[in-house]
Amino acid sequence: MRKLFDHPILQVKESELVHFLFNGEKYQGIKDQAVSSALIANNIHVFSHHHKNNAAQGIFCANGQCSHCTVLINGMPMKSCVTPLNEGMDIRRLEGLSELPIKDHELRDHRNIHHSCDVLVVGGGPSGLIAALELAEMDFKIILVDDKSNLGGKLLLQTHKFFGSKEDCYAGTRGHEIAKILENKIKAHKNIKIMCDTMVAGIFKDKKAGLFVENKAYHLVDFKGIIISTGARERSLIFPGNHLPGVYGAGAFQTLVNRDLVKSSDEIFIVGSGNVGLIAAYHALQAGIKVKGICDILPEPSAYKVHADKIKRMGVPLYMKHTILHAEGDDKLQKITIAKINDNNRPILETAKTFKVDTLLIAVGLAPIDSFFNMAEQFAFPTVKTGDADEIAEASSAMFGGHIAGLQMAKKLGKNIKIDEDLYRKAEILKSHPGNIYPKQNIPLTEKYQPMIHCLQEIPCNPCETICPVNAISLHKRKGNIMDVPEYHGDCIGCMKCVTICPGLAISLAKKISGTEAEIVLPYEFLVDFKAGKKLALCNINGDYLEDGEVLKIRFDKKTRTTLLSLRCSLKNAKIIAGIRIQDKQIIKAEKDASINYFPDNAIVCSCEMLTVKEVKDYILEHKVRDINQLKNIRVGMGACGGNNCSLLLPRIFKSMDIDFKDVYLPRPRPSSVEIPLQALINEEINES
Amino acid sequence: MKNYDILVIGAGSIGLATAYEFAKRGLKVAVIDKEASPGQGENKSAIGGIRATHSDPSKIAISLKSIELVSSMQKKHGYNVQWKQGGYFYPVYTKADEITLKELLKIQHQLEVNISWISPKETETLIPGINTKNLRGGTYSPGDGSASPMMLADAYYQLSRKAGAEYFFRESVVDMKCDRTKINKVVTNKNEYSAGMIINCAGAYAKDIAKMSGEDIPVFPESHEAGITQPVKSFFDPMIVDIRPVAESQNYYFYQNREGQIIFCITPLPPISGTDRDSTSAFLPQVVKRMIEIYPRLRNLYVRRTWRGLYPMTPDGFPLVGMSNKMENNLLAVGMCGQGFMLGPGLGKLMAEYYIDNEIKHKYVFDGLNPYRKFVAEEKLK
Repeated sequence: MRKLFDHPILQVKESELVHFLFNGEKYQGIKDQAVSSALIANNIHVFSHHHKNNAAQGIFCANGQCSHCTVLINGMPMKSCVTPLNEGMDIRRLEGLSELPIKDHELRDHRNIHHSCDVLVVGGGPSGLIAALELAEMDFKIILVDDKSNLGGKLLLQTHKFFGSKEDCYAGTRGHEIAKILENKIKAHKNIKIMCDTMVAGIFKDKKAGLFVENKAYHLVDFKGIIISTGARERSLIFPGNHLPGVYGAGAFQTLVNRDLVKSSDEIFIVGSGNVGLIAAYHALQAGIKVKGICDILPEPSAYKVHADKIKRMGVPLYMKHTILHAEGDDKLQKITIAKINDNNRPILETAKTFKVDTLLIAVGLAPIDSFFNMAEQFAFPTVKTGDADEIAEASSAMFGGHIAGLQMAKKLGKNIKIDEDLYRKAEILKSHPGNIYPKQNIPLTEKYQPMIHCLQEIPCNPCETICPVNAISLHKRKGNIMDVPEYHGDCIGCMKCVTICPGLAISLAKKISGTEAEIVLPYEFLVDFKAGKKLALCNINGDYLEDGEVLKIRFDKKTRTTLLSLRCSLKNAKIIAGIRIQDKQIIKAEKDASINYFPDNAIVCSCEMLTVKEVKDYILEHKVRDINQLKNIRVGMGACGGNNCSLLLPRIFKSMDIDFKDVYLPRPRPSSVEIPLQALINEEINES
Repeated sequence: MKNYDILVIGAGSIGLATAYEFAKRGLKVAVIDKEASPGQGENKSAIGGIRATHSDPSKIAISLKSIELVSSMQKKHGYNVQWKQGGYFYPVYTKADEITLKELLKIQHQLEVNISWISPKETETLIPGINTKNLRGGTYSPGDGSASPMMLADAYYQLSRKAGAEYFFRESVVDMKCDRTKINKVVTNKNEYSAGMIINCAGAYAKDIAKMSGEDIPVFPESHEAGITQPVKSFFDPMIVDIRPVAESQNYYFYQNREGQIIFCITPLPPISGTDRDSTSAFLPQVVKRMIEIYPRLRNLYVRRTWRGLYPMTPDGFPLVGMSNKMENNLLAVGMCGQGFMLGPGLGKLMAEYYIDNEIKHKYVFDGLNPYRKFVAEEKLK
């Protein structure tokens, strides 16, 4: 087993080990960990071979939203990412279509299981948890369901400190810690019934929801109102080799590395320069994984500037205006090739660069999972959607949105309350995209510590202002809200709280120690495997190397699990040093010769049914397709994921054929999203408890 | 105004095959449908069974023709429609059902349907693992089978377009202008049409269409629910039809298609009338219990999704096919009672042969389906 690594931020818990078989061979894993993580921890990346073309398949979403990770568990095909590992499991690679396990005994004891509640909250992520709490406080009886074993949703994967404001959304606290705080509140509340490892299978006209519970039972729930806080799914991308094991979503990667502490990879590359992609790069570095680069077709990263700056300083190159050409490998990803794009977004093959990596993360955006909301609305049930299911934004905004969603639902259920307009305004601000960039404030060095603020772009974030005990930092009032950038006014007492709390790692302290030298304090969220006296490479805000600095003192703040390093540096650079390089230049080198085998029509559009761009395009052309339903004739959207993934890719296919997607008719959303064994639907041999 | 020889209302199971057969004869054919592409109404809700094992001469003749056409579709025209000749099996658990089905066998044999009674032992060989407790045997018709409704719809769409038929999608008929004997104009939300013959193939909406020419036809949609599982390796062939009614449902049936997926459907009791397509929580537990009872092996299959479709029912369970007795240029091909998919290919062909080629030998088929008959008999194998 790939040992759980020591993590600079996360505490590695003592875990119970269990044994399991994979294709008849004995392995060890951690009890209750997702089977997919246990397999990858044992270096098993190929989970199945597809029945159409025998292509190898591994994980993609690790979030129950696709079916790539299906394996045979004790004879049954199951999504390994939502199945907890148990002692003695017999796991097998799925080779083609599975054979039906033969159990011919007569129908045994069976039953229907019912619950009822005032509000069913679907999804226990940041928005759902807050909404549930809000409603429970108002004495509504809540059932909160979540498809994972632990509450918190994506908060559990966020080892970084949160943006936003302290009062509204725990800014400055790490995501996984926020999850714990909220989980404890929820668990203590008498009005909330929690159902983990539970997926909503359908919402029905008779105002019931069908729940698939712990992979084995089916419960029907009556509700008065339903909150949809189901989050988002990661978009995939069309390029040749996109189906190879080792190509997966950034969220899946965070699940492996941050939730399950599995060092899934040795060397990765990332497509997408949004917050998700850049944070994934950061998480990889924290896990001791090399990040060879990040590419994006955009001219500038779409993430917060502080994220991009941080990543550049750590020695990860950003290839802007670059696209992924293809991924290659036999049964598993071995290398990827990127190239610059021209003004028409076409790749310039002469600029191709190839990198040897074992993992390619796709971080090209998220799509709301809101089909249950649409169904509930169609049935005219009281319903509210919140968090990413409503609009893709930061988790800080999701929490605040959950608060509003709770109030909205209470109102819909007849509670006489008024929702303050101010709340909506605040919610909008928290959802804001990054704004203007301002020049850096020039603070003359003195013999006393003073903050050097490398946070220059408007983002919704203010913990530095709220934590400063002497109000030495405040937001420069331009917009008049938390989008404004911070500014120093003097009188720093050197408490280092701003350095510790800044989610963007964008504040350092500096003081003069001689006529030529200065001392700086930098936050450091990596394993400290060195002592004072060690020389570290120091960079400016853009990641340009400036000088080596000697470590003078190492402080570890237990509460925030942040290390602060004091370093000696030259006086002239003290103000502009913003961070420490983690990766050596050697690591990020491209291969000497680029590998160019560019056949874009070979890319897979529908990976459930293994349909290529060419097959789909040919059919559209030949049959003059203007109704997505027609594509079902070649099985687009007929697979296990219910069209969740390919439906996000089809607009691009039509666009590439110069067909206006507005002229294309879209099918009705599907009523069921999760596959359930027949036996579970009638709770055969399941007790009501 | 657009003028055609034939105007088909509805590009579904009946309309598509009809358009092809009429266009093939050199007639200028137009097809109007409110959906965005062919077969998007009840056609795609059909589960795909095609059988000749009915209880009356008309449907048997039509279905035998359907089987002939669908089974040769790939060979003759190159369209793979997932035809599988897996047969139909009606298991029998009660004395009463045994008597009914054995009586039917006599009629079916007279009409040259390939069907016979098989013993529980033979059943076990045919359907490995089936629950044989109280099983008395059943009727098995190896010539019957199944195909993909969507792919068959597409095949007829392609064939009819090649034969010259024109299609107008996302177009709803909103009005008809008639004199005392003729429909002069069909008005849609986009256009106006006139035609030598207007064929009502509007399925669940046939009654609404007929009303526009002042005709009241007894077609009443009922909602049925169906589902499909994940694909697994093939493990049984026939469509299994259990005709026993229980407290909340009547018959139900299921089979494994060429992709390896099990498709199943149930008739609710009491029937759910109307055009509501929204799923209810009752369906899955209800049908699943009955399926596992009869075939325990199914318990480990995963249900992938469910949907509802409409059965355009008639008072006696038989279709209404024939010329309108009010409007001389109006042909009715409606009220298929949930069997439009299996009847469509044969019916399209027989209608063209009877009404265009004047093939008199089909007279008995259409006499049996006369829309103005007295509804006395009742279909025994709905």
